[in-house]
Amino acid sequence: MNILVSYLKDNTQAVVPIVIIVMLLNFTLVPLSVPVVLRFLIGALTLIIGLSIFLVGVDIGITPMGARTGSSLVKTNKLWLFLLGGGLLGLFVSMAEPGLLVLVNQIEYVTAGGIKASTLLAWVPTGFAIMVAMGFARVFLGLSIKVFFTVGYGLIILLAWITSRTSPEFLAIGFDSAGSVTGILVVPFIMALAVGISSMRKDSKQAEEDSFGLIGAGAIGPILAVMILNMFTPTQDYPVISLEPAMAEVGAIMSPFWRIVPTSMKDSVVAILPLAVSLLVLQRIMLKFEKRQFSRILKGFVYTLLGTFLFFMGVNGGFMEVGSQLGYYLASLDNKIWLLVISFGLGFVTILAEPSVHVLTHQIEEVTSGYVKRKLVAASLSVGVGSAILLSAIRVLVPWLSLWHILLPGYLLAVVMTYFAPNLFVGIGFDAGSVATGPLTTTFILAFTQGAASAFPGADLLRDGLGMIALVAMMGIITLLGLGVVFGVKSRKQGVESDVASKS
Amino acid sequence: MSQANPETKHYELICVIVNFGLGSRVLGMAKKNGVSGGTIVLGRGTVHNRLLKLLELTDIRKEIVLMVAEKSLAFNTLEVLDAELDFSRPNHGIAFVMPVGAFIGTGNYEYEFTAEDGGASSMYSAIFVVVEKGLAEEVMDVAKSVGARGGTIINARGSGIHETAKLLNMEIEPEKEIVLMLTKTESTEGIVKAVRDNLKIDEPGNGIIFVQSVAETYGILNA
Repeated sequence: MNILVSYLKDNTQAVVPIVIIVMLLNFTLVPLSVPVVLRFLIGALTLIIGLSIFLVGVDIGITPMGARTGSSLVKTNKLWLFLLGGGLLGLFVSMAEPGLLVLVNQIEYVTAGGIKASTLLAWVPTGFAIMVAMGFARVFLGLSIKVFFTVGYGLIILLAWITSRTSPEFLAIGFDSAGSVTGILVVPFIMALAVGISSMRKDSKQAEEDSFGLIGAGAIGPILAVMILNMFTPTQDYPVISLEPAMAEVGAIMSPFWRIVPTSMKDSVVAILPLAVSLLVLQRIMLKFEKRQFSRILKGFVYTLLGTFLFFMGVNGGFMEVGSQLGYYLASLDNKIWLLVISFGLGFVTILAEPSVHVLTHQIEEVTSGYVKRKLVAASLSVGVGSAILLSAIRVLVPWLSLWHILLPGYLLAVVMTYFAPNLFVGIGFDAGSVATGPLTTTFILAFTQGAASAFPGADLLRDGLGMIALVAMMGIITLLGLGVVFGVKSRKQGVESDVASKS
Repeated sequence: MSQANPETKHYELICVIVNFGLGSRVLGMAKKNGVSGGTIVLGRGTVHNRLLKLLELTDIRKEIVLMVAEKSLAFNTLEVLDAELDFSRPNHGIAFVMPVGAFIGTGNYEYEFTAEDGGASSMYSAIFVVVEKGLAEEVMDVAKSVGARGGTIINARGSGIHETAKLLNMEIEPEKEIVLMLTKTESTEGIVKAVRDNLKIDEPGNGIIFVQSVAETYGILNA
């Protein structure tokens, strides 16, 4: 069984639950038209194939490149070079993230140009890059990861408190852009970079802990950046534009797919280009891969490109529409319980098909030699994301409940929990939070919550539709820290007291 | 194999190489059969296929399970595993056993060092030390202070008789490190003793050491 076949098997298992839920709804509560269902099924198939090819590409292309870049940066043994290199790469890669491009354009549209896409596109990646560099500095200087996240999220909570009183939109935009910047390519690259850096450590336990947390660190940046941006922006009320759920032509089955070929192609090329350019430049000056290995990595990039393209095709061609229709119809039903139940269910299963989640869980298994099992991490994330979508649905139904009412206690809880979880899980948890908000969540689930929001006259699309990503990130962190706490307790040996004290 | 001393137990190292994800199952079955514990290492295998090679799709993720058990138990375990996993069919993995010269660690086992295991006495032996993650450096330091020339650290996971916690029906197998050192047979005993005393291997739950004799080595520099 080669890696492609095993990924195909894994991903089929991951996508089938979504298909089952949608099909069940189709035959019971929400009858969809036949072409929509067929498109959804074709989309699901394309998504499985695309995801598998993408993961193969990450394995043989992106990961080796990231790991070698990380260790080469450490070998220079100059802190400034290390930080500059890390920051520049972070900036370069995150600017091209397709999820971010979609989000900023959407924000510009719903605020009727009040918040410019270009402004956000300058601030968000800069914030990300600075915080990635800070994350590097933390590893280099050996600061505690718990202290790092406490300070980072402490700042966020403080700024968010100020922001929530003047312009709550910016709160949602901040968290959402942090979630969408850590998407399909940033995650595998930065993660491999972190593993490469920490593998140079002599202390193997420390090395493992430092392999995670860099993405979580980077995600702090955009939130801070957007909220700081808000301070320089005069407070104003943005006109509310309501979005109708996307209803494509009813009869066509294949033509919606053909129509999105150019945009999907463009998105995937744009996303991978910065990494490919970096590879060519770095190979010259620093990486010096052998010829055989270099050609392997190049092939890996081709796989990544092809996989990303197919993935976007599947999601945009078949998933988005079903998502917004499901949300719209479920929210129009008299019995609101269904909306809540399905929200949880969709969140629970969708996250399993998220590409970056696969990358993270594989990396965790690889780094811990299988000690932290992939299934456990995925299961915790499922519960977390399921409850996050549930909370989003509740927010749509309960107009006075603002994002802030959930985020404040949630992040406070997360920060407190870091002190009870093993260090390894602190990094994994904050990484997982950002990783959970990948291209599938930001399209399919976003379409679902926006569809639900648009069925309500009282719901405000900007405030209610957005903010879902923030909740997904938050709940991801909380459930994984919870898993960490349980793991810490369970891993203690039974019947042997002597060395328990010396471990901790 | 010389049965000079009937009191001495003979130990065998069981190696099982299976596709990724099966390692924990193998270890679980072996433990049910009476093996006290085991260590799992991640590996990578390749497929022979020209087209796949061109496409760079030759990798298969593997897991290698290492377990030490008393001779009759080892052979019995191997049979049980074979019955369950069908090693004879293609792509079902491979398994083999190797004799072990000395085995220390699970408390109730006795320690008897037999350098001339397998008849002819060999010049070198391979010392395997399996300890909690993070302790491998300490093992190396101790071993070097009493004459080891160097060693290799391998990341692994595994569980012994004291580690049986479960989470959602999945057994937790804590992380381990394996230190592999090739040493001259005459210095082996000293190194084993030093590591054993410094890391308190004799106390239950602190790791295991086993030694195998090596027929031929290249690349070990003599002082």
